[in-house]
Amino acid sequence: MSTIRNKYAIVGVGESKRSKNSGVTPLHLALDAARAAIADAGMDAKDIDAFMSYSEHDSCTPHQVATYLGVRPGVVKEIIGGGSSTELLIADAVGLIETGQAKTVLIYRAMNGRSGMRMGGGGWSTDLLQSAFDGGSFIIPYGAGSPGQWFGLFATRHMHLNGLTQEHLGHVCTSFYEHAQRNPNAFFYGKPLTMEEYMKTAHLSSPFTKHDFCLESDEANAIIVTSAERAKDCKSTPVHIMGMAARQSVSHAHYWKNVDEVASDYVAPELYKAAGITPEDIDVASIYDCFSWVVLRQLEAYGLAPKGEVGDFVAAGNLRLNGKLPTNTAGGMLSEGYTHGMNNVLEIVRQVRHEYAGTNRQVENCEIGICTGWAGPDIAGAMVLSK
Amino acid sequence: MSEETKVKYEKPIPLKTLDNTPYWDAADRHELALQKCNTCNAYNHPPGPSCASCGSVDVIWENQGSVIQGKVYSYVVSYRPFLPGFQNDIPLVIAVVELDHLPEVKIIGNILNGNAENVTIGSAVNMVWEDVTEDRAVPQWVLA
Ligand SMILES: [Zn+2]
Repeated sequence: MSTIRNKYAIVGVGESKRSKNSGVTPLHLALDAARAAIADAGMDAKDIDAFMSYSEHDSCTPHQVATYLGVRPGVVKEIIGGGSSTELLIADAVGLIETGQAKTVLIYRAMNGRSGMRMGGGGWSTDLLQSAFDGGSFIIPYGAGSPGQWFGLFATRHMHLNGLTQEHLGHVCTSFYEHAQRNPNAFFYGKPLTMEEYMKTAHLSSPFTKHDFCLESDEANAIIVTSAERAKDCKSTPVHIMGMAARQSVSHAHYWKNVDEVASDYVAPELYKAAGITPEDIDVASIYDCFSWVVLRQLEAYGLAPKGEVGDFVAAGNLRLNGKLPTNTAGGMLSEGYTHGMNNVLEIVRQVRHEYAGTNRQVENCEIGICTGWAGPDIAGAMVLSK
Repeated sequence: MSEETKVKYEKPIPLKTLDNTPYWDAADRHELALQKCNTCNAYNHPPGPSCASCGSVDVIWENQGSVIQGKVYSYVVSYRPFLPGFQNDIPLVIAVVELDHLPEVKIIGNILNGNAENVTIGSAVNMVWEDVTEDRAVPQWVLA
């Protein structure tokens, strides 16, 4: 992977309106996000010759998006995938461009995640769920149907072994909610969260309260990837991909005989090798945050906080804007919005571009950013970006 | 089993599939059966079409009997039913249990007599079988 270092760039990012009830189909949202990303890059839709997306049977196809942008691209690709798919598809985009199969790739995630099919469950046939998940017959009859319960099984043991407390989870939540107060487009803009309030909030499923669960929203995000060479002709400030890595580790996606390792543990060394940096070089972070604990676990996996000291790291305020590692600076999926990880990618691009310069949202002097994806404990992907 | 119990059971009943039927057939007899790989000797739980440790198709089923003891490896306590049928089981304790005689095997179940206060990592538990219909039973755990 080191051979692609800084040869590719993200040149456009865009989003649709974010709401609890869009009143339109995911296709409308996807088109809005795609048009915004294309405008951000200063391109024409016809400059895009590959369209890719991921979903969990809850979206529109790249074929449709291309069609209604009036484009007949060379490549359309759709994968079924979880929250590390943005990074995985960006890696695919790089591969397509590197091998001459495409020149410029648009990747989107569009979902009515609140008003339509909800990731958090509900309305599903339990027989369907038993069949849909590998090993589903061994979890669904026991009431374990929510990612909050699945990841909670990892969290309880990890917290027990590493001295992590409810308050440490609270520091993740309050830090991200604080970021959301500077982002008028965040769901929880105007709804700050104090530690006192957090600690009084009951568990939905231990060790998680409603604040530790990500929110659900209707929205679409889009990203445009092209070569560093072509990026020079774009209107936007290109953000270069220094390195990427992805990995499957845990044997079953939905059944766990070992909760002491996650795929991120294996991605981290490959990522730093590809990017040619160390964790100390990173100035700003987007860490996949479907649940607060998932952030703590990844800070440890990626060496962003010393193992065994992750709790102290977040308690010291290091995730805040003036901390050592401002993280999920738009509020993340805990408090900004939920586009299955992609909104965190948009934010890291904007930070590394210094798009917020002159406002209270810019991380000062940030040069290198990390973005991590978590499709579950079993699959992770991550990338390092710089201007 | 009484008529009343049969009517009341609203929770999902484990689906028997091509790969897991011997496990659930054993559960119906109040026994634990585990899939074992003849090539690498790993126990596979959940079972599958081949060994998840080495890929071998030479897998067999081994009966473990009806006295199954373990320790809580991890757990959650849910205060909301995330699936239909569990509204009367709140708070619901879902535990991953490490078998005493085969620590590499972890079996998820509910701790029927457990709650947030008396369950912890390391708690000793015994497997019991809950009769859920006339001919089906589900392995569960109780605090020892
Ligand atoms: Zn084997």
